[in-house]
Amino acid sequence: MEAGYLPEYGPRVSDQRAERMLGALVCAVVVLLLALIATVFVRAWPSFAHNGLAWFGAGGNVDEQINLIYLSGLGSEPDVYTFHAWQLLWSTFLITGGAVLLALFSSLFVSVFLVEFAPQWMSDVLQPVVRFLASVPSVIYGLLGVLVIVPFIGNHLVTEPQKASVAGVISLSGYSLLAAVLILTVMIAPLMTSIFSDGLRSVRPGWLEGSLALGVNRWRTTWKIAVRTARPAIVAGTVLAVARAIGEAVMLAMVSGSVAFAPNPADGLIFVFEPSRPLAPTIVKNIDLLGSKPANSTLFAIAAVLLLSAATFSLAGWAARRSMSKYGATA
Amino acid sequence: MRKKTFAITAIALLGLVVPASAGAKTLIGSGSVAMQPVLQALFAQYTKLTHGKVKFVYTANGGNAGVKDVQNGASQFAGQARTPLPSDAGTTYIKMFLDGLCIDVNPKNKLANISVQQVHDIYRGLITNWGDIPGSGLTTTIDPVGRDTNGGTYNFFLQAVLNNELPSSNVNALTSDGLVANAVKQDPNAIGYDGLAWQGKGQKALKLNGVPCTASKISVEPLKYPLSRYLFLVVPNAGVSPTLQKFIDWARTSPEAAPTILKAGGVPAFNKKAKR
Repeated sequence: MEAGYLPEYGPRVSDQRAERMLGALVCAVVVLLLALIATVFVRAWPSFAHNGLAWFGAGGNVDEQINLIYLSGLGSEPDVYTFHAWQLLWSTFLITGGAVLLALFSSLFVSVFLVEFAPQWMSDVLQPVVRFLASVPSVIYGLLGVLVIVPFIGNHLVTEPQKASVAGVISLSGYSLLAAVLILTVMIAPLMTSIFSDGLRSVRPGWLEGSLALGVNRWRTTWKIAVRTARPAIVAGTVLAVARAIGEAVMLAMVSGSVAFAPNPADGLIFVFEPSRPLAPTIVKNIDLLGSKPANSTLFAIAAVLLLSAATFSLAGWAARRSMSKYGATA
Repeated sequence: MRKKTFAITAIALLGLVVPASAGAKTLIGSGSVAMQPVLQALFAQYTKLTHGKVKFVYTANGGNAGVKDVQNGASQFAGQARTPLPSDAGTTYIKMFLDGLCIDVNPKNKLANISVQQVHDIYRGLITNWGDIPGSGLTTTIDPVGRDTNGGTYNFFLQAVLNNELPSSNVNALTSDGLVANAVKQDPNAIGYDGLAWQGKGQKALKLNGVPCTASKISVEPLKYPLSRYLFLVVPNAGVSPTLQKFIDWARTSPEAAPTILKAGGVPAFNKKAKR
């Protein structure tokens, strides 16, 4: 605001009151956030301290480790903290990565179509639908998975020889990487689509018209000018989607399978049918163990890793957006 | 505007105060999650029976937490699914009713009877094919499903069937009894376990060591069905209020509480037969 507009006697008391109230609220939120982060990390510390970097490594069965940790906290013996989270981390990486990749491609094409090619009436109808889909609670997707997708995969896609080949180690009953990735994609794609479309819509019409006037065809104009200009929005949407995918717990706890198993791409086709359990559902599934001190610390350590990775992604997204924003359109 | 607000507030307050002022007593309890459905049904029936004179507040925070609440006076009674431990000093366990875990398979499975040892072997990953269990008519790989570590069902199964060994990694641990029932219903190769309340909805309960999983078999003393257990109410040794004692006696022994217990998934143990 220009200085000349300010009245010389300064803002009125009531204005100051509003300012201070809002300022205090913001401070309270920041303090709460810091307290939350501090609590999580303080509680998580014993687990990290006992394991060091091996926390993130492979070794042994996570479920057995959690059980030993839990039992050690009930008796009078010294607490056990040995925990190697590799299976959980790998599962989180596979499911989140797969879903984000699939959703990125599909949402990009859907939003390009919605903004640049769809007739007006169609985008008028689809836009609210996409926004609605983005806000559907995840447990509903979980139910859909458990009632439709999981039994379909288990009864129709997995064959008996495949099941027999891993009998006793894991069950290929439909609770699988494939189910988790598919449903997670459906869950995050609307979120990405709605942010991508906002980005594409904010591209300056003059740039597109200029390109068209030069005789560049519509597809090339869209791809080279609109999509390129909207890259900050695409990054922002992807980062939001990654954050939601990493933190998704309820739906994945229902469909991804429940064993701490690291699906192995070397297993061939059955790789996608193998069950696994990412980080967030591990907390949900073991919430009853919080009463044991070492188990409590271990679950908080998982929470700390989730918190940290979400923060890293939002920072990386911010950095990427900043370097791209010189092209114009913003998220 | 202000008058309207006043009026609404007054009505709302009236709604809060009137029932409470009619001489109602509130009994506060906490504890077992496994017991909650039956207790809530009993509470509702008893409140109705006393025309709202006795009300209940029950927090399902787990049996062990509930006993602690009784020890420090925060609760008047606790629900508990396990037998007493030395750490429960100062409390009395009262057997209320019974609970049974059924072993279920898909109706397409021809199996009628299974032994506890076979169930143990399946959940420990030692038997993985229905062909190794005579009578199933299947030669496919078994899909065992169970519960995750949350809740009493898992603990009971772990103690009673697996001798406190962890289930094998091929057991799919689901987050609720309902999801277990659903998984068994949808998968012809599945085997699962859950309580009586979940039976008969697209899954088939097996005889266990030759004893069918039905309410009438579970309640016969000595407990012949291998997976049956008592559920307890825990009260302080220091004394029980007459109102609570009356409720406990009613729920334990009255003929009209029996169908309520049965309907909510428990098995009445001491209730007298209704006179015809």
